Amino acid sequence: MAIKVPKEREVPFGAITPAPIKQQELFMTSNWRIVRPVIDHEKCTRCFTCYIACPDSCWSFIEKEEKMEWNWMFCKGCQICIHECPADALSAVPELDFEDGVVRLEKPF
Amino acid sequence: MGKITEITVWTRGVVMDKEARDVANAFSQAAKMEGKFVQAFDNYEDLPDRVLVTTRKYARISDEEIEMKYLYTNSHPDVVVIVEPTIVKGINVLKGMPEGGLLIINTNRPIDYMLKFIPNADVLGAIATVDADGISGVKTVDFSGSEGGVDTAGIGAGIAAPILGAMTRVTGMVKKESLAKIISDVAAMERGYNEVKVQKFRKSRVEYVWGG
Repeated sequence: MAIKVPKEREVPFGAITPAPIKQQELFMTSNWRIVRPVIDHEKCTRCFTCYIACPDSCWSFIEKEEKMEWNWMFCKGCQICIHECPADALSAVPELDFEDGVVRLEKPF
Repeated sequence: MGKITEITVWTRGVVMDKEARDVANAFSQAAKMEGKFVQAFDNYEDLPDRVLVTTRKYARISDEEIEMKYLYTNSHPDVVVIVEPTIVKGINVLKGMPEGGLLIINTNRPIDYMLKFIPNADVLGAIATVDADGISGVKTVDFSGSEGGVDTAGIGAGIAAPILGAMTRVTGMVKKESLAKIISDVAAMERGYNEVKVQKFRKSRVEYVWGG
């Protein structure tokens, strides 16, 4: 049942979020990105350095396929993972080289 | 009140903030020198800007006095300038544009490739690209927070200069001689003026003949 909130008690955007869920699609930040980290699964040693270094938790491990997975929706293109990777398995590729990952928001965020 | 030409400049916060501000400010200042009535300002909605966040700068140019003083967003931009080309993937840049508008992108990619990312491009009157990164190659990152108040680099020093040259050529609203008095990198502006690529569409509005 939806709770009726009087007009004067309404809160600004982002103050209340549907929780607990894994990712908030209201706060998609993929349009901040100029370059995208692309992983070479051959070179990757599964050391999880990218998982630790990523400020937005965009790297996760798929146990079935035993490889790292990148979350395009929240990666801001900060390139910390590329810088930190000890195996040089990550490379920065311009976002415009890819045709996927289009979000087209009406407002900046 | 006559027709107001609204210009919206899309950019990335902090890293290319100064360039977009220069584009909006210098273009409207040049128009002011030619006797037009102008306004130019940053967007308050997008602020405080953070690194790489998309932000907007606005300019308005009119032959008569502009009466809308307290509206600080351009809801119907006639000209949209994109300082960083990846923005077309993340933002609906043509939102509110009337038929026959103009889009200027700073990119070295072909126009047809850029149009793939703009599904609502049928409102456009013309699209233009200029490789400003390749021409000037200078990005003036300003972390001082002074918002250009104590800017030693000068107006139009980085990639703003070729973009301004392209805007002059494509819109035909100001003369490049007036711009040359304002901006510091005149050579880059000349190159942008000469190297801009334009693709016109048939249904340009009659009152706007983009292409000078």
